[in-house]
Amino acid sequence: MKKLILKSALYFFLILILLEALVRVFHLGKDTPTRFLDEHEVEKWMPNQNGFSVTGNRRQNFSEYHINNFGYNSYREFNPTRNKIEVALVGDSFIEGFHQDYYNSIGKKIENSMPGIEVYEYGYAGYDFADQLHLIHSYKEQFDLIDHVILGIKFSNDLTRGEYKVVSGRLDLESPMNRLLKKSKLLVYSKSIGILDPPQRLMYRLINTLKPKQSIKPIDKQEAQRIKKEEEREYLANFKSLIASYGFDKDRFTLLLDAKVTSSFFLSYLKENDVNYIDFSTFFEATDRPTTLIYDRHWNNHGRALIAQLISEYLSSIHLTPSSK
Amino acid sequence: MLFNSLDFFIFLPVVFVVYWFISYKSLQVQNLFVLAASYIFYGLWDWRFLFLILASTVVDFFVGRAIYASNSDKRRKTWLWTSVLFNVGLLGFFKYYNFFVNSWVDLISIFGYELKSTWTLQIILPVGISFYTFQTMSYSLDIYYKRLTPTRDFISFATFVSFFPQLVAGPIERASNLLSQITAKRSFNYIQCTEGLKLILWGLFKKVVIADAIAPIVDDIFANYSDYPASTLILGVSLFSFQVYGDFSGYSDIAIGTAKLFGIELMSNFKFPTFSRNVAEYWQRWHVSLSTWFRHYVYIPLGGSRVSKLKSVRNIIIIFLVSGFWHGANWTFIVWGAIHAVLYIPVFLMGRNRMYMGNVVAENRWFPSLTEILQILLTFSLVTFSRVFFRSESITDAFGFLEQIYTNFTFESYHHPLGYRMIDYFVLLGLFVLYEFRIRRDERAPFKFKSGIVRFVAYTLVILGMLLFFDDTIDRSFIYFQF
Repeated sequence: MKKLILKSALYFFLILILLEALVRVFHLGKDTPTRFLDEHEVEKWMPNQNGFSVTGNRRQNFSEYHINNFGYNSYREFNPTRNKIEVALVGDSFIEGFHQDYYNSIGKKIENSMPGIEVYEYGYAGYDFADQLHLIHSYKEQFDLIDHVILGIKFSNDLTRGEYKVVSGRLDLESPMNRLLKKSKLLVYSKSIGILDPPQRLMYRLINTLKPKQSIKPIDKQEAQRIKKEEEREYLANFKSLIASYGFDKDRFTLLLDAKVTSSFFLSYLKENDVNYIDFSTFFEATDRPTTLIYDRHWNNHGRALIAQLISEYLSSIHLTPSSK
Repeated sequence: MLFNSLDFFIFLPVVFVVYWFISYKSLQVQNLFVLAASYIFYGLWDWRFLFLILASTVVDFFVGRAIYASNSDKRRKTWLWTSVLFNVGLLGFFKYYNFFVNSWVDLISIFGYELKSTWTLQIILPVGISFYTFQTMSYSLDIYYKRLTPTRDFISFATFVSFFPQLVAGPIERASNLLSQITAKRSFNYIQCTEGLKLILWGLFKKVVIADAIAPIVDDIFANYSDYPASTLILGVSLFSFQVYGDFSGYSDIAIGTAKLFGIELMSNFKFPTFSRNVAEYWQRWHVSLSTWFRHYVYIPLGGSRVSKLKSVRNIIIIFLVSGFWHGANWTFIVWGAIHAVLYIPVFLMGRNRMYMGNVVAENRWFPSLTEILQILLTFSLVTFSRVFFRSESITDAFGFLEQIYTNFTFESYHHPLGYRMIDYFVLLGLFVLYEFRIRRDERAPFKFKSGIVRFVAYTLVILGMLLFFDDTIDRSFIYFQF
């Protein structure tokens, strides 16, 4: 028995080492850049990092990222001047684009279709509207030089708060323990493919059994409708509060959104108050090819090409072309 | 509790440690502990159905003793029928009741009678009922045929009926093999334990990598068969052949491996049926414990092959139809059984049904001959064809599937709606078939390498394979649990 236990433990340990090596050799696990909070309390990536983002058990999506000098994933450094035309894309992971090679991003596609324009991508996973406006406000001088700013928002996710505060939960990912765990590519890989979910679920199940049970009231349709309306009002109030705090240049700022998943209440407000927005829902619906990746809901190359085309058309429609300077 | 769940990987080491460290001194305590563990294992699924297992155990324990004690043949037969009727009654009620009612309604509607209200019930099929009822029945039958002496130890008998590694999906054991091991003292055996662990690993690989990885593709093709061309449908049913094999043989390997950890040897259930050279050989290699059960308790009592050719053919038809019906309360399974009877009978009439017993393809060679390859391909194709009925939800769907192959006989490459990269699966199956061919001589030794380093690399690659094809989003239960 002793022999069995010792030998099993030894095999277990050796197998883990060999698996770690195999995961590294075949680059199955994703690299995660280091994040930090700058002097303006803007959360972004530590400048000048390179790595590969991997999706799926078998590298179904494999792409390279490059964090530039300013702390965002882009093939470009951000040096806006009065002489050039620059467009900023500000948003969450969809703009950040770790799911594509950094040299094939939405910004790059726009530049390809509109030579002479420089596109700066300020994308960061989890950025909501508060993060976006706080970033623009914190780097006002830089953004004042940029000719047009497009802010990607999702109504149900990005307007849940009316003032900016540092999201400590995200920065906790840089805790010494997490940084240590990230060193094991096998662990990162196992987590990304969901193999660690069952033990996690079991742990939560055990914790929940110890907690006193709370009765959950079933919500009827009317109540659900009321809650939804209340949320919509709250999100709009947050939007108003944020633009009141940070300002919102209606001539230079445009929202990028999916009108199909945006409250009509909010869309009416935008229209009434002359806030420009680009709706990509109809564009996506018109295509018969998938617009998202297989293993997550981020835009695939086709989706990104459509977004780039839509933005290019919009920029042309507002006469923002190199000849306009 | 599923073998491929985290719960089981906590349950198993705990039971293993308690079994060998605490309860090993006394056989009674050891058996009582295994019985308790088995009831917990089953009760975690639905404790109410434990009463069915207990009822089946009690009935056959006392019926077995009564058969043995009876002097007259008539009384022995009466006791035997008590056991058979009780167990078949349980099966009939829980598994076949609704089927019979619906079939009756359909039948009388043919004669113009419309029954608006039927008496179907919302019955949950107790997991493993088809397996443990057959196992307990085999005990009474063996005593009736004077092949076995009944045990006086109820705990041992209850452990035999509900032994958790094989409780829910077999292998269906005979008392002469399993009960005799349960009533004997077991002592820890290092070699046996390591063999068990290897089988568990290989079984998990077959379940997680082969069966579960293919499942979403097969599900899509069968659910939307009317939208696909023949090439896709043939691909779908061929993949299903691998899925069901990976699923059930994977389960059996884990069951046999787990039993080994407790010092128990279960019978082999799968002996590389993919490499069968005719349908008769296939049935000597596929779900061996069920085929053996039907041969011992249905085919031979009916006269087997020692009667006239005509009667033998009748017996073959009976066991295949019953075997089909055993799988599920659906006409699809009966047709599946009938197809196998049709495929088996010519082999039997040509006297080729026993020619491959006791040898494997390319017995003393590295590679099979061209004839053997063609035989294997033909057998695989025939068996795979029958699986259209095995997998389809209804007879209408099965015929619709076949009609679609016939009417839309075109080739188009298949694209899964979720965009699965098909080449991954083809490479996987290719490597799997080649590896199984390499180990084809011994189904109980999947990692038989002389070099320890090669063995270690094989374990690691098998685990890596599980990581590469792990999918937490799909239903991971075993196909044969529904039977």
